[in-house]
Amino acid sequence: MTKAYPFEPEEAPPEYRGIPRIDPVLCIGCGACANACPPNAILRIDDPENGTRRIVLDVGRCIRCARCEEVCPTGAVRLTAEFEAATDDRNDHVEIVELRLARCRGCGKYTCYTERQVEKVLSLIPRGILDFDRVREKLPLCSECKLKLTVLNATKFGEVEP
Amino acid sequence: MKSLWVFHVNTGACNGCDIEILDVLIPYYDIERLGVKLVPTPRHAHALLVTGPLTRQAYHAAKMAYEAMPPKPRIVIAVGTCACSGGIFHDSYALRREYRESLEYPLKGGTSEFLPVHLYIPGCPPRPEEILYGIALLKNIVEKKVRGELFREGTFVLPRESFNAWVEVLLRARIRKELGYFDGYSLLRRFMELVESSESKEELEKLVEKTINDEGDSRLRYGLEKLYSYYLEVVRTYEGILAAKRALVGLPK
Repeated sequence: MTKAYPFEPEEAPPEYRGIPRIDPVLCIGCGACANACPPNAILRIDDPENGTRRIVLDVGRCIRCARCEEVCPTGAVRLTAEFEAATDDRNDHVEIVELRLARCRGCGKYTCYTERQVEKVLSLIPRGILDFDRVREKLPLCSECKLKLTVLNATKFGEVEP
Repeated sequence: MKSLWVFHVNTGACNGCDIEILDVLIPYYDIERLGVKLVPTPRHAHALLVTGPLTRQAYHAAKMAYEAMPPKPRIVIAVGTCACSGGIFHDSYALRREYRESLEYPLKGGTSEFLPVHLYIPGCPPRPEEILYGIALLKNIVEKKVRGELFREGTFVLPRESFNAWVEVLLRARIRKELGYFDGYSLLRRFMELVESSESKEELEKLVEKTINDEGDSRLRYGLEKLYSYYLEVVRTYEGILAAKRALVGLPK
């Protein structure tokens, strides 16, 4: 029998790979999805002057391969069961998550990772194995400051800490 | 417009979208309810149904078909991700495309670069329902469901803390090898809820046993057993490291 579809609502099966959606509550802006995406449907755009990072998902370029869902470390990108993405304007397909970049501890410039990434990394360290405070001290550093710190530590080689 | 006569052009598609267009014509979906008819020549057509990322070979044929259409409605419908924006072929050498910086959005490419498209139907390939929905959208039967969204930084939730977060990262890689991401990650989420709800090791063991007995799917049962054994392994390793460090440095507690 013929389906009554456009006149009656229709749901896709639960395993159906539909339109991907980014959950802005969970996203840490690491860009793993942008790395994995075969057709470059997800972009990671950094703006170091204003200190923002944008994760841009273009549904009109997405081929529903679910590689982003597979690599996302927090489960923020999920393929929903929605499939009705037809539109007359391509701007309707773009979903943007804007996150703040972390500031460097040493020089105060913006680093190349977000504040949420720092929080995520700190939440991963099990107590007792690593010295928590020393890691916390080093974490939001830009690459230049890290380099300086490495050189500084290398010159101290051999000295015994009190 | 009451009925839409369409002419179908394949501009280098992989045939997936074409098969879905054939599916739409069968009695089960029956797009002729909406007045759509496939015609054999562009001179009879109101709309051009384009699939594919527009290869250099197909460009001239597509242009000729577009110019042969009667000038009045001249609607172009891009079916499939390739026609909308290039899709998986967006940087292929065989496409007719312009060089551009890749950080512009919405992303350009595909057929929509050279023809003025009136309706985009993404999907790789789109479901027959999705094509039906697109045609219905063109005829104002249904309303548009997607829209562009911009989320600025708001509330932030980290699902797990400290030790459990570390365990989850280690277990994730292993369960993905055993069950794949689709079943594996949802199973891992269930398992971590069990871990967080239980307070002692004995309670966790009982909970896991109960869940395994209640589970009907043998694959998921196997996954749960594996997860539990991996979890015990990780806990043992962690305690081993702590003991070694305590012996070396002399940690308190």
